[in-house]
Amino acid sequence: MQKHSDEALVAYLDGELDQEDRADVEAWLDADPAVRDRLLALAESAGLVRNAFADFVNEPVPERLIAAARGETAPTPAAEAEIIRLRPVAAKPTAVSSWSRHIQFAAAAGIFGLLVGVGAGYLGNGILAPSGGLGNRPAETASLDNWLDTAAGNYKLMVNAGGTLVDVPASADNGEVLQKISQTLPQQVRLPDLKPWGLNFQGARLIVIDGHPGAQLEYSTDNKAIGPLALIISSTKQPDLEPTPGKRQDLNLLYWRHQGRASVLVGASEIGYLWNIAHDVAWQLDAI
Amino acid sequence: MSQRWNFGESSESAVSRVTPASARFSDQLIAVLPRLRRFAAGLTRSASEADDLVQAACERALAREHQFQEGTRFDSWMFRIVQTIWIDQLRARDIRKEDGDIAEERLGSDEPVRRVEARLALAEVRRAVSLLPPDQRSTLMLVTVEGLSYKQAAEVAGVPIGTIMSRLARARIALQQLLDAGAGERRSASDAKA
Repeated sequence: MQKHSDEALVAYLDGELDQEDRADVEAWLDADPAVRDRLLALAESAGLVRNAFADFVNEPVPERLIAAARGETAPTPAAEAEIIRLRPVAAKPTAVSSWSRHIQFAAAAGIFGLLVGVGAGYLGNGILAPSGGLGNRPAETASLDNWLDTAAGNYKLMVNAGGTLVDVPASADNGEVLQKISQTLPQQVRLPDLKPWGLNFQGARLIVIDGHPGAQLEYSTDNKAIGPLALIISSTKQPDLEPTPGKRQDLNLLYWRHQGRASVLVGASEIGYLWNIAHDVAWQLDAI
Repeated sequence: MSQRWNFGESSESAVSRVTPASARFSDQLIAVLPRLRRFAAGLTRSASEADDLVQAACERALAREHQFQEGTRFDSWMFRIVQTIWIDQLRARDIRKEDGDIAEERLGSDEPVRRVEARLALAEVRRAVSLLPPDQRSTLMLVTVEGLSYKQAAEVAGVPIGTIMSRLARARIALQQLLDAGAGERRSASDAKA
């Protein structure tokens, strides 16, 4: 690399130069205003590129890709070819500047187990009618499994994005949120108020779950032991189902169906806490 | 809050299970999907093409799961798979351009769709990126958008760091020229209308 070159300027912007080369470039910049203009233009174009692609990480991931990641699709010809090995990562990463790092998506090494919690016995008293569980319905079991996987995946995306990942942010009257949700779901849904539980509504994300459009309502809390919580609501043609707990590694999920609506609460908090909140949510969703 | 749920009585789990190891691998894959889609979007020229590419990459990764080495970056491994499949596809279509050879296409052409897109600055930038030669496009996406270091990008691309530096510099300069050209053509069109 020549010391006074575009390569040097770009590497300078990317924080990839050692101290000596950096000092050379800075002396060059001090001496030549035209070089400073060039550096500024290069920095601006780099910022434009980042912004141009920033939205992709906030878009809902198509269900077919989540299915592919779980190995639930038939392999395509392109998947059959040769693959490459990477050498182990060096102990110390190269020094980098803020220029090239500020929109890096924090992909957490989120690990879900698929040890699913036991189905709990249930006695409803009016809102959710007991329906006999899933034990004798393998197809429903698989469907529920997909539901919970997708819900857990969506929750992880939300957490990876910094706690909330919303298409429609919360507002004073949440009018836009309700409008979007009503466009998404076939039936009117009330927005559950979970402030008594220390959970503040942050907004809604529109998703597709098990082939149906749905809404992920996102709640945050200052209590790190509880963490953010997501309530996912979608339409369903399946019969009512009592609250069924599930577990995906560090996440607890509580799923139920009632009157054409499938709901799941997802969070890292204890299952007992989720049960209590789900009780409140079910009551609010069905209140006239 | 008048109702009570009795959840003390448990029964056998109704939900199917998969092995923890494969579930962990799939979970890592799901977590990195948004970034893979973004990377693929920068390589290809349509959202559906990008998703097809990511899907193929997921399938290949699952088929070669045993080849992933613990201690290496999972995202880099996946970027490399995406890039490998993409290059294979380009070769199959015989449309890969030589490094340094900018496509003849320019921003601001007369096609109605492109004129509409050109009004949207970000769409214009994405289109400018799509006009870069494949090697430069891939390097730009890895370093400038995905934030990989030059060393990591060199490992993904399987080339020396010096090659990454030169590709990146050429990409940034070409991009700047494309954007300037697009802006100039729009100014001319606007002046002509006035």
